Formats: sequence, structure tokens, C-alpha cells
Amino acid sequence: MAKIIVVTSGKGGVGKTTSAAAISTGLALRGKKTVVIDFDVGLRNLDLIMGCERRVVYDLVNVIQGEAGLNQALIRDKRVENLFILPASQTRDKDALTQEGVERILEQLKQDFDFIMCDSPAGIERGAQLAMYFADEAIVVTNPEVSSVRDSDRILGLLGSKTRRAEQSLDPVKEHLLITRYNPSRVTSGDMLTLDDIREILSIDLLGLIPESEAVLRASNQGVPVTHDAASDAGQAYTDTVSRLLGEDMPLRFHEVQRKGLLNRMFGGSRR
Amino acid sequence: MSLNANSADIAFTFKGGMLPMTVMELSSADPEHIRCQLSGKLSQSPAFFQHTPVVLSVEKLDEPHLALERICAVCRDHKLLPVAVRGGAEPVRQSAWALGLGWFAPVEEGRSKILESVNSSTATDAANEEPEPVEQVGTAATRLFRGTVRSGQQVSAAEGDLIVIGAVNAGAEVLAAGSIHIYGALRGRALAGIHGNTQSGIYCRELEAELLSVAGNYKRLEDIDSQLLGRAAEVHFAQEQLEIKPLV
Repeated sequence: MAKIIVVTSGKGGVGKTTSAAAISTGLALRGKKTVVIDFDVGLRNLDLIMGCERRVVYDLVNVIQGEAGLNQALIRDKRVENLFILPASQTRDKDALTQEGVERILEQLKQDFDFIMCDSPAGIERGAQLAMYFADEAIVVTNPEVSSVRDSDRILGLLGSKTRRAEQSLDPVKEHLLITRYNPSRVTSGDMLTLDDIREILSIDLLGLIPESEAVLRASNQGVPVTHDAASDAGQAYTDTVSRLLGEDMPLRFHEVQRKGLLNRMFGGSRR
Repeated sequence: MSLNANSADIAFTFKGGMLPMTVMELSSADPEHIRCQLSGKLSQSPAFFQHTPVVLSVEKLDEPHLALERICAVCRDHKLLPVAVRGGAEPVRQSAWALGLGWFAPVEEGRSKILESVNSSTATDAANEEPEPVEQVGTAATRLFRGTVRSGQQVSAAEGDLIVIGAVNAGAEVLAAGSIHIYGALRGRALAGIHGNTQSGIYCRELEAELLSVAGNYKRLEDIDSQLLGRAAEVHFAQEQLEIKPLV
């Protein structure tokens, strides 16, 4: 049975699209047939992060409005088998999305895929609500700062009241916390909220913790999801996250300040 | 017939009682003006307008004749039940009686406190997605909520106490006609005694509240002694102000 997972946060710029791309890639690398849908109509970014922007012909809105078939709009990832991207439209706005249209597409995708990842736009308006409405699970992306935690709290409230599962009194949407841009030394110095603070306020299960890393920016700009960078801390952290999403028990990493060894200090081993 | 009827025959007994009552202090006699303001309030705080009994105070008005019948109709349209009128000249008293309302003599200056809870402190952005799992426990009016009350959510007990088993996060709001008991951290707003019950209180395991209010008397986070923050606390109305004490 296909699982629909929304990647959401409320606040913008916390790493939703990066995480949706990285986790989708990780799932596909584990042999799961995965599609990732960009719901950010008007500000499409997912295709850039996935490195397929030059291959976009049709998009989500075209399919909803019947101007193209689903198979025409789906883009097959070049690096991993089993991974597909459904891009957003850059020229339309979010009003072009309809609940019936989204439902029809998701039902169709459920026939073929194991995982359907919905990359939500920021905010709590129509685009974000449609991205979460049909979700079975939610990955709430949060940065270790007060405003991001507050917005995630707001989104968790909406997941509990404005989704199909809530409205039809089905089992609630399974909520996962994904903390991104975590910098243990800045947490120690008091610049950032601690892992425990965030978990206490949001009180949902922790799915993963992604350290602040140069590898993420590099990956975004190259259009290669950071999961492919297996040597990087962020790449490994996303791989752990995917394993937990598949029900495996993984120890938490990258949440404590790493002591640098002598050689490391002398030659300035960079975090990659 | 004996006056000493045995207890089984008694139809009623008269008892003195002090009931909390909302006073609606009119500063305009124009029913349409009142209607406008009420409509605004109703959308902001629907929990308050539940056939709430109110006393219409006309002491601030200097009008011998009032369109009392129309004012009462406007109130009932907005689910407020006028039960009596306070103050006003003889014609006002006569028309109150004619409408089946009680009449109270005006109170001396400085005795009445304006109930502010609905006027200002709950006037936040419309928080209308009330989370699901609210249960009825104890007496019919008590409400129990299990889980975290999250930013943007509002949970209210329109008639009795509210019990929250979990935290009330920043940006969330809990309201009750009676007391509010929070078995967790209170980081949002808590308003007890929204209909004016000054005997109500707020109890929480960890005080970080944005706003505390009992019967309209409120304190903001920055008014709260920082020594009390982060600890279990109880909040009451005493000596005309909010009193916050560590809960031991």
C-alpha cells in the first residue's frame, strides 16, 4: 500500500525541499518506488534541487487541468532507478490547484508507487493545506530556532484538524520531527535551541537530525540530492533518517560537538 | 394549614446567593451602534456568547428614555440574555419592569469593575480550529483535553472548568468560565473566569505564560515576576489584583 508523506514546516527556508529531495532519493536507493511532488506552484524549486530542471515539459497544474497525462509529466530521475519527480508550475499560482484534482493524481500514483512524497510550500495557505490534506504521514522540518519551532507547532495543529484523516476521524496523520541545520557547537554556546528543547515543545517522535553542513549547499547548487554524497555528515544523516522512516532503529548521530583530533586540527579537516 | 410544613411538602426555599454576572456597561443608547460592536465581538470570542446572562448598566448614560426593548432584542440576537437593568431614571425602571427584567439601583462610584476579558485580552486573531479530543468529565460543564494545545489552537470550557493533560504552547489559548488546570507547561494564554467569576483560578506545572487572566484581570509575561517562571504555579484574583504563587 502506497504511503503519502508530506514534508512541511510552516516557516520558509528551513530545508523542506532539500529534505524532500534527499529522503526521496534515499527511499529510491533502498529500492522503494518513489515519486516526489512539488506543491510549491509559482515558486518551483524541487526540479533544481533534483537536477532535472531542463527536462520539465508538463507540470502538476497541467495534469490537474487535463492538459497532459500523468505519465507525460513525471520525470524519471537519471541517477536512481525507481525515483520520479512531478514538478510544479512556475507560471501559475496556487489557486490552480484543486482538491479533487490533487486527489485524482494521488489515487493514480498510489497504483504504481510505494512512497508519494509531497513537498509543501511554506505558509499555512491553500498550497500547504492541499499538500498535507491527503497525507498518511508528515515530516515536520524544524530549525533550532524559536520562530521555526513556533511555526512547526502551528502546522502540527493543522495536521490534527485540517487533513482528511482528521476530518473523517480516521487514524491520525503520523507525525515525525526532522531537525535540520543543527550545529552542536552553536547549541552549546546558547545561540540555538537544544534538541531536548525542541522535542519538549513539539512532543512528537524524532525522525532525524541533520547537521548544518556545507555539503547541503553544495548539493543544492549542483542539483544532486545530498544523500548521494555518502561521505558527508548530512548525507549520512539523511540515510539514517530514511532507515528510521522504514522502521529501522538507528542511533542518533551528529548531535554532539565532535572533538577534533590533533591531526585534524593541524590540517584543518573540514566538515564534509 | 400549618405554616410549619414538613420538608417533603416544601416547594422551594429562599437562599441568598452571590452569582458571577457580566455587566454590560452601555456608553451608547443607539441599538444599531451596539449591534455593530456585538457582531465584532461575537466573531472574536464565540465561546463567550452562549446565552450568557448580562446586566445592562445604563449608569453612564444620561438619557431619561431608552429604547430598552430594541437594545434587549439586539442582545438576544447575539446570544446574550439581559436579565436586569442597573441604574437609569424612573422611566427606565418602569420599562425594565414592563419587559420582565429586574432593576438594580446604581452602585457607588469605584465599585464596579469592567469585565475586560472578552473585550481586549481574547481579541486575538480568529483561532477557530479547535482540536478534536475534548472530553466531558466530572460535572457536565467540565471539559478535559488530552494532548498538546498547539500554536493557533483555542480550547474553551464555556460553562465550567477546563483540564488540559499536556502543554499549552506559545500562541495557543485556553479559556474557561471556571478554573483552568494544566498538567504540563503553560506557554500560551490562559483566561479563567471569562464570564466574570473571580473565584476561578489557573494552575499549571510550569509557568511560561504569555498572558494570564482571571475574570478579566490580566498579566502579561513581562509583568510576571521572573522568579516564578519555569515553576509550578497557581494564579488567583485577590485584593483587586492577580496573585501568582508557587504551587507547592
